[in-house]
Formats: sequence, structure tokens, C-alpha cells
Amino acid sequence: MAGLQQGVRLGLGATVALFFRLKIRLIAGNLRGEVSRQIGFVFSLVAAVAVAAGGFLAMSLVRLAAPDMAVNLVIIAFAVFWVTWTIGPLLMFGVDDTLDPSRLALLPLTTRQLAAGMFTTSVTGIWPLVTLVITSGAIAGLAAGVAGIAIGVIAVLLQFALCIVTSRLVTTALSGALRSRRGRDLVAVGVLLVVLLSQAPNLIANRGSSLDVERVVVGMAGILRWTPAGTAAHSIGAGGLQAVIGLAAVALVVLGFGALWIAALKRALVTADTSTQSPAGVRSRSLASRLLPDGAFAAVVAKEFKYVRRDPRGRVGLMAAVAVSAVMVFSISGGGRGEMSGAWLASFPACISALMLSLQSSNAFGIDGRSLWMNAVVFGTPRDVRNDLAGRHLALAVIAVPIVTAVTLAGSFIAGDPLLAVPFALVGWGVLGVGLGVGAVASVLLPYTSPERINAFSGAAPGQGGVAFLGSFGSLIAGTLLSLPIVLPPLLGVMWWSALAVPYGMGVAWAGRRIGGAVGFGRYPEILAAVSRPS
Amino acid sequence: MGHHISEGVGDLRLIGRFVQQDTLLTCISARLAHMTEAVRTTGLYKRFGQQIAVGGVDLVVPRGSFAGLVGPNGAGKTTSLSMVTGLLRPDAGTIHIDGFDVWLDPVAVKARIGVLPEGLRLFERLSGRELLSYNGQLRGLPKREVEQRAEELLTVMDLKDSADKLVVDYSTGMRKKIGLSAALLHNPAVLFLDEPFEGVDPVSANTLVEVLQRYTASGSTVVFSSHVMDLVERLCDWVSVMSRGQIVAQGPLDQVRAGRSLNQAFLDLVGAGRDNDGSGEEGLSWLGSSRA
Repeated sequence: MAGLQQGVRLGLGATVALFFRLKIRLIAGNLRGEVSRQIGFVFSLVAAVAVAAGGFLAMSLVRLAAPDMAVNLVIIAFAVFWVTWTIGPLLMFGVDDTLDPSRLALLPLTTRQLAAGMFTTSVTGIWPLVTLVITSGAIAGLAAGVAGIAIGVIAVLLQFALCIVTSRLVTTALSGALRSRRGRDLVAVGVLLVVLLSQAPNLIANRGSSLDVERVVVGMAGILRWTPAGTAAHSIGAGGLQAVIGLAAVALVVLGFGALWIAALKRALVTADTSTQSPAGVRSRSLASRLLPDGAFAAVVAKEFKYVRRDPRGRVGLMAAVAVSAVMVFSISGGGRGEMSGAWLASFPACISALMLSLQSSNAFGIDGRSLWMNAVVFGTPRDVRNDLAGRHLALAVIAVPIVTAVTLAGSFIAGDPLLAVPFALVGWGVLGVGLGVGAVASVLLPYTSPERINAFSGAAPGQGGVAFLGSFGSLIAGTLLSLPIVLPPLLGVMWWSALAVPYGMGVAWAGRRIGGAVGFGRYPEILAAVSRPS
Repeated sequence: MGHHISEGVGDLRLIGRFVQQDTLLTCISARLAHMTEAVRTTGLYKRFGQQIAVGGVDLVVPRGSFAGLVGPNGAGKTTSLSMVTGLLRPDAGTIHIDGFDVWLDPVAVKARIGVLPEGLRLFERLSGRELLSYNGQLRGLPKREVEQRAEELLTVMDLKDSADKLVVDYSTGMRKKIGLSAALLHNPAVLFLDEPFEGVDPVSANTLVEVLQRYTASGSTVVFSSHVMDLVERLCDWVSVMSRGQIVAQGPLDQVRAGRSLNQAFLDLVGAGRDNDGSGEEGLSWLGSSRA
């Protein structure tokens, strides 16, 4: 009896406190008893403090610029934050692990309580705090006098709320689409378009390097000033009645978005999952299984190809690598040719794309995830694991080699010396091999769960963000260092050296598989546990 | 089974010429045990943090039996089965399957066992047919053989119509059936199934039972964990009862039952039967009158 009534009468403040404690407990619960998770958490905490401090400092330093310019810069910064918060969660960075609202569906919560609670859990976390700290740098950078500071504080809080609410609105509104498998696959690919679009200003800025920066900033700020985030920033600089009107408008937008979010939330909670209503059959005679000798190796290669085609996670990684390569080629083609030597143009995008593509394999078992047991109950020797890695390497190489070749060709044509493509394609292929070798070792040393639901907005299962970060950055650094011996000499003009690149790359890949096989077989149960976390 | 033993004793006579008497006795008992036992664990132990999930389990399953592993939630059934099948590393204890040590001789063991683990973890983006083919090829079966066996399994399991659908779109029953097919594909000597009937509709369950009965009738061994006592009682000839990380009873079904129904025997063994008399009256006084 008592329980029922308490549930209904929970005040707003109590609701907020309750959800705050819930979120803190969830974060703490994810860390309990796992040293690697704790290390990862500390790691991201340190990163967060650094980002927050650096961001705050950068924002407050705009005070050194002319007042008009300072306001313009803050407007752009606020707008960038807003856009980042809007699309950021879709980009799967491990910044947000918000409570799944469907878990609250059965609790007798009023809309107001639900909204307050969800908002509280959304703002409780490291990265929301970082955002708050950085944006409050604008007060230090722009505000003047007590009234100015007061306006600044309100503006920063509104901007913060705007970011969070927009982010929630977008994810909740898309959650219907994100729940169905096909929708999830589509969104995953759609995200790439957003990434490409976000590169557009960068490209324009690169193209127009003759334009002066100031005019670009003024022009951009002139437009962005009318976005809600821009208005908030503008108000800090403007002060007075103008600021009050501006902030009132922003507050209205926040409330409006909030209302839309709650409406979307209520709808999302009672909308059925339609993911199983797609009876389309697949039947493919894989080329790999026809060309390769019958056996486990061919089975792995065929499976990998199917996964690239059918699993959005793998596809997104590959397409992102292609997109980044394309953006790089495109942007340097607009850059001054005089600044970069032809060798740079031909090699740099090729090597970067080779490294990015090959490091898709740096968590090779993550995509298999919980199904990896099927391998585990078969593999009886290190050779089996090595074989498995080799199959994955072949599949990835078949996809990556043409891409790297195309990027090299494009780069060398832009450089005006198509012949450069020959040595640097060799170098690119070598780097590919290096990346595969490094990836094989990283896969067995730092495996992590790759979430099946892309709307988990994380590249790793809760608590494994640190491991994922270490794994991907560690292998990026190791891959770069190991690539230098084949990249540098041709770059400095020793072209014949490039003939060594492919054997070197294959050697590193072989060594990586060797180590990966030996280490991986020894800790297969641990790898299985690491990639099978609930996500 | 008889000729297996005599064969073993014949071997031992040969060995006897070279070894001492006491060693010989140990050898005989070990060899005889291997002849008749499909699974034997000794002192199997696993701890997760503070919690002891499995605290010294001596699981024995005779060869050719249809064995049920029963116990309440959290008794350590899944943890035990994971360790027995080489998916989870035990903290202590040994596991032998057909006389081979699971952690020292993985090649021999893995060729002999088929596994359907808990949950429904499968390669989601393969179709049912592709899943079977991947599994078979990974085990080194010739492709043609794999295709033929897969086709027969799909037919028996009534999965022909869905064979080309992605596993991600399968229902629970279909997943269990395709999982069992994958586990049977290489004709293992011992089959380990963790909750094979959980969430499965009666029609699919019936198919699973038929396939499993046919399989054990040929002398192969099935070990499965379950909560459904009726099913265990109907299917199994050997039962191991687990409670709080220990085996509390183990043996032929009739011996464990000792005249009771298996359900009653189970409740008595795990200590749930005793408390039924008075304690229910103490709490929950507010429950059942929802006028407020």
C-alpha cells in the first residue's frame, strides 16, 4: 500500500536525486571487480580532464582577440558543440551510455518525472561535464561585469541543456529506426554521409586557402549566429536587453525540443520491434569457397566476406576508411601543390588509408562477439587460431588492396607524376601488411566487445571504452612506427627501397599472425569472455 | 560396452609386463573408468570475484547415457558446462572426456564433443545453411560431406524453409534447432547442451527430443542441463543434481529419485522442500488485497 503511494508522490527534486544516484550506481557497477575496466575508466577520466582544461583555456583565450572576433569565434564554437552533440551519438564514439528508456516503461512515472529523470541521467557523466566546463570557458572569454557574468552563466546552462536535449531528441526519434535491423544497418551507413558532410567546411577552407581566415570566420558566424547555439553565444557578447531576448528564445527552443523529446520517448516506448519481419533469403555461392582449397581457411574467408556485406559494423569501418581517404585526396588536391612534394601527395593518403583499412582488424574477434564460442569449441592448436587470422587477413586484403591502389593512383595523378604510383602503391600495400600484423596482435591482447546495437553509441561495451581506446590507438601508433622503415626512404627519394615494402609488410603480417596465434590460443577463453560482454 | 572392457583389460595385460603391481592397479582402474565414463571432473572449482560459482564438482557421466544436470538458478550448471567444454578456464580441478584431459589435450577433446551453450549465440549474419557449412569446414570435414549432412539435418529439424534466412531473424526454437544441428554436424561422441529446451515451443521441443533420442540410442552420450523436471524424468537415465556450486546427488535416475517424483526429490535435495511449511506465513502480509 505504502509502496504504491510513495511511487506516485515522488517529487521532482527526489526524482532527480534518485536518477542521479541510479546513473552513478550504473557507472560504478560497470567498473566493479574488473581491473581492466577500472584502468580504462581512469584513462578516459584523465583524457576528459585534459580535454576539459584545454577546452576551457582555449575558450577563455578568445578574450585576447578583438571583441567582435571573439564573439564570432565563440558563436562558431557553440554551434560546433551543438552539432557534435546532435550527431556525435550516432558516430558511435564511446562518450555516452545513457539509460535505456525502455527499462523504465513499466514504472508508474508521470511524463514530468520521466523527463526529469531521463534528463538527469543524460547529464550525469564525464562527457556532459566536460562540455559544461568547456562552454563555461566562454564566460571567461567574453563576459564583462556582474550582469555580463550572470547572462553568461544562463547562456552556458541553456547551451548545455540545448546540446543534451537535442542529442536525446535525435537519438530517441531515431530509436524506432534503430531498433529494426534494417533500419540500424541503414543508419549505420547514413552516418558516413554525415561524417562526409562534416568535412565540407574543412574542404572549403582548404580550397580557399587564398581567402583570408577572418572573412571566413565572419561569414560563418554571421549565419551560425541565428542558430539556437549561436544565439546563446551571441547573447554573452551582446549583453543588455538583446541578450535577454536572445536567451529567452533559446530557452523556448530548449523547451520545445524537450517537449518533442518526451513525445518521441513516449512513442518509442510502445512501438514494436519490427526487426524480425524481414523474410528475405540469402543464398550466395561465395567466390572464395570456389577459388580456395576446401577447408577451414576457405570457410573463414567466405564468412568474413559475408560479414563485410551483411554486418553494418564492419561495413561502417571500411566505408569510413574509404571516405577519409577520399576526403584526404580531395582536400590535398585543392591545397597548394608547391607546399607538398609529389612524393608526399602520392604516398600520404595511400599510407593513411592502408593503415586505417588494415587496422579494421585490430579487434578481429569483436564483431564475432558472443558467437566466437563456435570457433573456441573447434580450435585445438595455435595453428587453428593462426589459420583463422590468416583467413581474416586475406579477406580484408582483397578489399583493401584495390582501395589503396586507387588512392595512390589518384594521389600521384594530382601530383602530376603518375609514375609515382608504382613505388608508392608498393609502399601502401606494405603498410597494409604491417597494419594487419599489428591488428592480429592487438586482437588477442586487447579484445573488446563490439556492440551489436549501433544506437548504443559506443565503439565498445560499457566499461570497455578504455580497452578499445588503448587497442585502437596502440595499434595505430605501433602500425605507424613499424611502417616508417618502408615509408620514409622512398619519401626521401630512395625509390628502389619500395621494392622491399611488400615483403616487409607480409613479413610483419606473418609475424603478427604467429604471435597472435600463439598468444591467442593460450588465452582463447579470456578473449571469448572479453568479446561476449552484454552490450 | 562389455567388449570395450575386455579389450581394455587385454591392453593392460600387455602393459602389466612393464609396470609394477600398484601402478598396474591404478592403471586398470583409470583405464576401466575411461572405458565406461564419457565425462569425469574432479574438484572442479571456479570463483568470480568473491563468489564461488563452482566449488569442487565431481561430475560423472557414464558413456552412452542420456544425462540430465539439474539444479536451481545460480547452482553453477552453466559455469560447469562451460568449463567442461573448454570455453571457460577453471581455477582448479581436472576434466576428462573419454579419458582425454580437456585443457591438456584440446585437439582430441574438441573433435569428440558437440556443444550448444547457454543463450543463443550464433553467427547472426550467416544463414542457417551457411552456419552449418562454416562449422563443418572449420572442423575439416570435406565440403561435399558437410553439404549433405547439413541438408539432412535441416530437413530433420524442419528448417528447410528457413535455411537461407539470416540467423539474426530466427525465432528461439529455430535458433536452438540450428545450434543443435551445428553441434551434431561432426557426429560427436559426447554432446553438451545447456538449457536446450528453454523458450522452445512444444513442436520444436519434440523435434529436438526425437533427434537426441536417436543419437543416444546409437551409444553416444548426451549431457544437458534443464529446469524442466518432467522432461528430465522422461528422457534421462542418469541425473546429477547441483546446488550452490556442489553436486548433491548423482547416479541412475531411479537411485536419485528413490521412489519419489524427480521434482520432489529435487526439492528435497536442494533444501527447498523443508521450508514450505511455516515460513510463507511470516512475510508478504500486505500481498493479495489491492484495495489500496
